[in-house]
Amino acid sequence: MQAAGNPPRAGRRGRGGPNGARPKMSNQALRRAIRYVWQYPKVTWAAVGALLIATLAQLAVPQLVQEVIDTITSSVLNEMILGLPANIQTFAAGQLGLDLATAQNELNGAERAIIMAGLIIVVFAIARGFFSFAQTYLSQVLSQNIAFDLRQDLYAKIQRLSFSYHDRNRTGQLMIRATDDIEKLRLFLGQGLLLALQSIILLVGTLIILFLTNFRLTLVVLPLLPIALVSFMVFGGLAQPLFGEAQRRLSRVNTILQENLAGLKVVQASVAEKREQAHFKKAIDSELEQRIKITRMFAILFPFIFLVANLGQAAVMYFGGRQIMNETLTLGEWQKFSLYLVYLFMPLGQLGFIISLMAQAAASADRIFEILDAKNDVENKPDAVELGEITGRIAFENVTFRYFEGSEPVLQDITFTAEPGQTIALLGGTGSGKTTIINLIPRFYDVSAGRITIDGHDLRDVTLESLRQRIGIVLQETNLFGGSIRDNIAFGRPDATEAEIIAAAQAAAAHDFIMEFPEGYDTPVGERGSTLSGGQKQRVAIARALLMDPHILILDDSTSSVDLSTEYQIQKALDKLMHGRTSFVIAQRISTVLNADQILVLDKGRIVARGVHEELMEDSPIYAEIYHSQLSEDVELA
Amino acid sequence: MIDRQAQLLGMEAQKAQSISGTLKRFGAHFRPYWLPLLIVAAAIIFSTWMQVRIPYLIGQAIDCYLTPYASRVALTGNTAGVTLPPAAAEFFSQMAGDTAAGSNCTYTTIDPTASYQETLTGFTQLMLVMVFLYVGSSVLTGITFYAMSWAGFRVLRDLRDDVFRHIHRLSLGYFSKHEAGDVMSRLTNDMDTIQQMIGFGVVQVVQGVLLIVWIVYVMFRDNVPFALISLVTLPLMVIFTKWFSDQARKAFRQARKEIGSVNADLQEGISGVREVQAFSREAENIEQFRANNAANRDANIKAQAYTSALAPTLEALSYVSLAIVACVGGIAILRGGSLMGSAVSLGLIFSFIQYTQRFNMPVQQIALLWTNIQSAIAGGERIFGLLDEVPELTDKPDAAAMPPIEGDVRFEGVWAEYNPGEPVLKGVDIHARPGETIAIVGPTGAGKTTIINLLPRFWDVTDGRILIDGRDIRDVTRDSLRQQIGIVLQDAFLFSDTVLNNIRYAKPDATDEEVIAAAKLARAHDFIERLGEGYQTVLGERGGGLSQGQRQLIAIARVALSDPRILILDEATSSVDTRTEREIQKAFAVLLHGRTSFVIAHRLSTIRNAHQVLVVNHGEIIERGTHRELLAARGFYYDLYMSQFRRQLDAGESDEELAEEVDAFFAPAD
Repeated sequence: MQAAGNPPRAGRRGRGGPNGARPKMSNQALRRAIRYVWQYPKVTWAAVGALLIATLAQLAVPQLVQEVIDTITSSVLNEMILGLPANIQTFAAGQLGLDLATAQNELNGAERAIIMAGLIIVVFAIARGFFSFAQTYLSQVLSQNIAFDLRQDLYAKIQRLSFSYHDRNRTGQLMIRATDDIEKLRLFLGQGLLLALQSIILLVGTLIILFLTNFRLTLVVLPLLPIALVSFMVFGGLAQPLFGEAQRRLSRVNTILQENLAGLKVVQASVAEKREQAHFKKAIDSELEQRIKITRMFAILFPFIFLVANLGQAAVMYFGGRQIMNETLTLGEWQKFSLYLVYLFMPLGQLGFIISLMAQAAASADRIFEILDAKNDVENKPDAVELGEITGRIAFENVTFRYFEGSEPVLQDITFTAEPGQTIALLGGTGSGKTTIINLIPRFYDVSAGRITIDGHDLRDVTLESLRQRIGIVLQETNLFGGSIRDNIAFGRPDATEAEIIAAAQAAAAHDFIMEFPEGYDTPVGERGSTLSGGQKQRVAIARALLMDPHILILDDSTSSVDLSTEYQIQKALDKLMHGRTSFVIAQRISTVLNADQILVLDKGRIVARGVHEELMEDSPIYAEIYHSQLSEDVELA
Repeated sequence: MIDRQAQLLGMEAQKAQSISGTLKRFGAHFRPYWLPLLIVAAAIIFSTWMQVRIPYLIGQAIDCYLTPYASRVALTGNTAGVTLPPAAAEFFSQMAGDTAAGSNCTYTTIDPTASYQETLTGFTQLMLVMVFLYVGSSVLTGITFYAMSWAGFRVLRDLRDDVFRHIHRLSLGYFSKHEAGDVMSRLTNDMDTIQQMIGFGVVQVVQGVLLIVWIVYVMFRDNVPFALISLVTLPLMVIFTKWFSDQARKAFRQARKEIGSVNADLQEGISGVREVQAFSREAENIEQFRANNAANRDANIKAQAYTSALAPTLEALSYVSLAIVACVGGIAILRGGSLMGSAVSLGLIFSFIQYTQRFNMPVQQIALLWTNIQSAIAGGERIFGLLDEVPELTDKPDAAAMPPIEGDVRFEGVWAEYNPGEPVLKGVDIHARPGETIAIVGPTGAGKTTIINLLPRFWDVTDGRILIDGRDIRDVTRDSLRQQIGIVLQDAFLFSDTVLNNIRYAKPDATDEEVIAAAKLARAHDFIERLGEGYQTVLGERGGGLSQGQRQLIAIARVALSDPRILILDEATSSVDTRTEREIQKAFAVLLHGRTSFVIAHRLSTIRNAHQVLVVNHGEIIERGTHRELLAARGFYYDLYMSQFRRQLDAGESDEELAEEVDAFFAPAD
């Protein structure tokens, strides 16, 4: 656990093993999340202050209204006495325990008193309005800032988490953590907590005032409160799963609609329209059924809650009315009661709402901290040094790698040395471990046993940044980022000059097609590179790697989904790229293999053959088989 | 509470072009559910009446029972049975006459000499009526909500159903102008907006308006000057609400943009995390994200500022109106119970306080919901617009069923265009004899796809005609035609269903054995067996989880199962791994055997085995013949071949080998 005063930012420490029941963990996560609030003590205190003033002003209003009304009623009485025939005036005044002079005085001052009371109400109304606004506004400032912090921490953490983490977690899931879960937590932290505080103050304050005003009348409404609270909670508890189910059914409806739009030709060609329509009808009917089910619950529960509140009003009116007749209650108090009653039921509703919010927020907090606490498998050692000038010799020494402790090794006892400037071709079937080898060089993963050295330095002894800056990578699936083509080429070197960028693009055979765009290098690549074709994306990726001018190059050279002339250009660009650099290539093309200084043939995580083409053709049947079945002929254009 | 406001204000506001027209269309859809709507209307009127009635009764309780009795008790100490001095008795009967004349008590008139018991009975009766009204209005609220949602959700369901059926009738012309993805997202958004409004949203607005109008009317009926003074805050409420919600909407529009860029950043940063780390871009990315994240925070705070101001302003105004009613009413009573010549009683003040306190909610709700109702109408307009799209292709009224196809296909001077005046085919003639394979080659946009779209009548010719076995295909029903044509598209489309159901998609009554046989024929059986649950494996959306090549094999199995007389193939351009590629080629070869086939060809082997190769360019067939003939001619095809197909020569196995395998496959059957 962290010290209470410490802001819980960027908690690096992993949480202990899976001990402790889950709900308990949730509370813990929630408590930890609440500490984010205290990073903004000024805003928090200001919000709480505004809340107190606003709530007190709110509590004062019915009291003030009572005073106005009591002034009016007593004036009416006074007026009545003074208007009585002289012979019973004194009798009546005697009954009221006042003399005629006082009555006259009161009556004369009544108008002033009423106006004064009215003005005070207006003043309180303005104060209430202003501070209630301040309270909501400040709570928004607070909650949006907390959301900002959480999102920033989460993003930073995700950016730095190693590949093994991302292997286990899908993009969509992580997205939801950073959006929905943070939003739920924000609602609870920024507003739920304050609203809960406000509700409790309002509830307690109102009850105290009511008891002080009229003990018996308060007892009348008291039993209604638990009924209301329970119905709010039942409501919250029931609604959640029903809505979840409705959402699921709706997404089924949308899936069918989506498929029929995207696959319309298949549907029409298969003459499946009638079937799909029946299918869809069933889905929409089932969604309808769920909606009606929810409606039914709302239609009963909502009016019921209102009824409880209204019956409270009726009870106050009836019993209050009797008390008025018995002279134990004034009309003003009667009105005050009815106004305060609203203050009893409103916070109850809020509390019920917040309780359901809390459960969700706790679950969300749990999921968010799970990411923030995730252990990063690949990190700089505290004493890691910058990698200096290198020649580019890479040596694998008895390297074994497994994704999880105790799982099957993906690489076993791999040993080889790549001399500076050599090209190493990696061959093997799916799952043979060739991708793993190239992932180990930039330390996307760390070896489980053995070691990898670069110019004699263990990779784990140098900083990640200095290592990766010397490695250029072209992956099979090219990811481009928003922004212009220029931004994407300069991705690894944002400080590159225009001339350098153009030179890299020319070398990657990308310059020409880039210039064909009206906006040239400023052309936005669109979401995930959507404005570019597969081949164009690949060439941008090559330019991106070229610009890094890396000592070491890692290539997955399969050029899928491009037409042949593009493939030819890419091939030429790659050849240029590899020249003079230590290169590791997952080979798909015959020329690469023929030109390689070393070919490593992998099978089930082991090197089963190594050498150059001619040697291997002679003594490795596995190589010969792969050569024939997996490698594609190079493009030869006239 | 605040969040619901923010949610409503945060929605995109849109305006319909023709509100009355769209409402009429909605009306037509509501017609079958007239009974629930009638109930809703009745329930709204009754419950509004009750809500207006209650404050009035409170006023009566005060004027008819509580004040007279209480003041008499106060003045005389008279609890039941004490005799009044004669002068006092005389005064009270006089006063009773006055008050009774001024007030009209519904349930009993005021009798100043009434005993405690009598007064209590009257008061209790009044209270019982009130309780009845409370219960009644609750029940009516429930009924309104239920009936409205019942009808509304059904209308929505019907709309969805109509749209879905209509989409099936729409042909390629519509989707050449509208992206399927756009249509989808528009439909879901519009349906969503309508769903949110069609149930309770409308009811709340209608009831809110009715309540405000009714209360205003009752207040004016009871006391015109007092009503005028009490209502001064109402216009202020309306003005403030409108201003704040307009500002909030504007600010939310900005906030939506910002959250968009935050999400884009997240999406990119997470899905591209490998590149980010490979190029050591973490720090820059995090900084860049900080900027967008902060902009989002600030935009949201601004938008929420306006939203936060709305409720407190209205609350303050309602307190002000409370003060006004109490003060003005109080002073009027002090000045002889009259305000500019109209009578004001204590009870009236209480009624008016209750009335003015009821404005707050409906004003807010109308303001929040109004724009969203407009958006819903705009959404409805778009949906009706889609429904109004006339399907370009319909069966002729006298269309007959297509008899079993022999496979003789003729295109005679066929012209086609998706947009008027832009022909994509210009006088195409083709003659395919039964069992022949026709390979269609040509550059992108030449019209290859259009040719194969015409055969199953995804689209109709604008001129010329297409004959199958001598029948114009426009004279037969599309269903009977399509049932005999099998199509494998480039992007093999699979449904999120089991592998089994995907294969039997075109022939739902096929047995499991038939499905497996087809899968074996398509060489898909082996990898299907290796899937988690074999043929019962449920595929992810759009066949996710399978490789491109595997998806194609399943699509081939699907067509193989339906055993069509005419086959249309659009070969995929993207290469899959060599082994799968060979499987696909073999599967194709088996499939093509003995059927009239049209193939948009990308594979050399397909072209070489074709009986006819048609070279299409700019909507015309510029060369035709066999592979050898065309090569010998050294024309367009020759160039195409040299630049695109030659390298396939040595890839994989030779054509002869393939041909042998195919022959071997059919040998036992022959």
